[in-house]
Amino acid sequence: MSLPSATSAGELRSLAERIHQGDASAETELVHEFSHRIFVMAVVRTHDREAARELVQDVLMAVIAALRKGQLLDADKLAPFVHGTARNLINNQLRSQSQRPPLEPLPEDLAQSCSAERLDDAERMRLVHQALERLGQEDRRILWMTLVQGHKPGEIAAALGLTSEVVRTRKTRAVKKVADLIRKKLSRT
Amino acid sequence: MNCQEVEERDILEGYLLDRLTEPEREEFERHYFECGTCFSQLQTGLALQTELRRQPAMPARARGASLLRTWSWAPAFAAIVILLSAGIWWYSARNRQSSQQVAAPPASPNMPVQGQSPSAAPSLEELARVEPPPYSPVVLRGAEDESQETFHKAMQFYVKEDYAKAIPGVRAAAKANPQSASFNFYLGACYLLTGQTDSAIVSFRKTVFLGDPAYSESAHFYLAKAYLRKKEVARAKDELQKTVQSHGGLQSEAAGILRQLGN
Repeated sequence: MSLPSATSAGELRSLAERIHQGDASAETELVHEFSHRIFVMAVVRTHDREAARELVQDVLMAVIAALRKGQLLDADKLAPFVHGTARNLINNQLRSQSQRPPLEPLPEDLAQSCSAERLDDAERMRLVHQALERLGQEDRRILWMTLVQGHKPGEIAAALGLTSEVVRTRKTRAVKKVADLIRKKLSRT
Repeated sequence: MNCQEVEERDILEGYLLDRLTEPEREEFERHYFECGTCFSQLQTGLALQTELRRQPAMPARARGASLLRTWSWAPAFAAIVILLSAGIWWYSARNRQSSQQVAAPPASPNMPVQGQSPSAAPSLEELARVEPPPYSPVVLRGAEDESQETFHKAMQFYVKEDYAKAIPGVRAAAKANPQSASFNFYLGACYLLTGQTDSAIVSFRKTVFLGDPAYSESAHFYLAKAYLRKKEVARAKDELQKTVQSHGGLQSEAAGILRQLGN
């Protein structure tokens, strides 16, 4: 079972309906709910943070335009709808790799929400840098071997003279430690 | 897909390293679009990966590991010291006994030959380590085609050691011009340097297949490195032998690795 997301299924359903009814604040909520997810998905698929930022805007605009027109037939499927739209636009971008004309730009207030995401991203990177400095050298090495070198826990265990279980535990603990620090600091701002 | 599966199957790392199949990737994306916990961990993982890639490479061994290795030698070291002492005692005792009888050559004490240290064969991880293949931009006279332009732009990231950022452009160039050995070779290099070993193998194989003499030797060599990373020693040896047979600049390095692999 999935753990609940920050926004419940009921709230997402109402979001889709409110956008269809022309509620501008619902559009801002939608941007807050999904822009980070679309950004991460686009970075992972394109390996390009700048292109990912542009894609976030394109995807959100396409989703909002569709919701305004009532094109989402099942309001319970908002998250899969956003994911599907993001996947299609990212794949189009990867296929063409050319300078395609951007979609209609986001309205000013929504674009500001996206700029806030950009600041969030920069702050997150600064906090990650701090958090990494606080980790022990071996924990940092485990993360480096996992996320940069792409080694599996068994391989890391063999290289460091540890057991796979210990490597898994230390990796999970280190990521959690960094995630907690980011959450605490970002929630204060 | 659920949170437990994500944890048990290392899905998060696989996603960040481009190792999932397309259906797995989609399934995980659908999951984290609705799961706050997994998304938070993914976001942290991506930020960590980006930050760690910016930092200089970690030392070859963690302190704990080197300490562990040092202490694991302690019993062997103690045995050598005991043998050495026993040898010296036996040698001097024997000399004392026979000094006035026969002027025989001293017997070799039963201890390691001086200068012959315990075998310190490098591990597969060490042999699999790669230096980025050098790249110097070629200035062509006349107009470049679109794929060359895309490639050269992407390779500016490569020169700055930002291999992940070079990938989209190099991949696009290789897709637009699949007959180019250089595009496929450097795409393989970018994949290898970002830990995407399987994709690297595919690109290096394509390079070999294209048969461009300017890239064949290097493609065999880096293919061998990729196989070493995957611990596929037989395949790695095969590629190293092909590198040696090319009689190019990587011949002696390939031969050295083959010797260390016990060929």
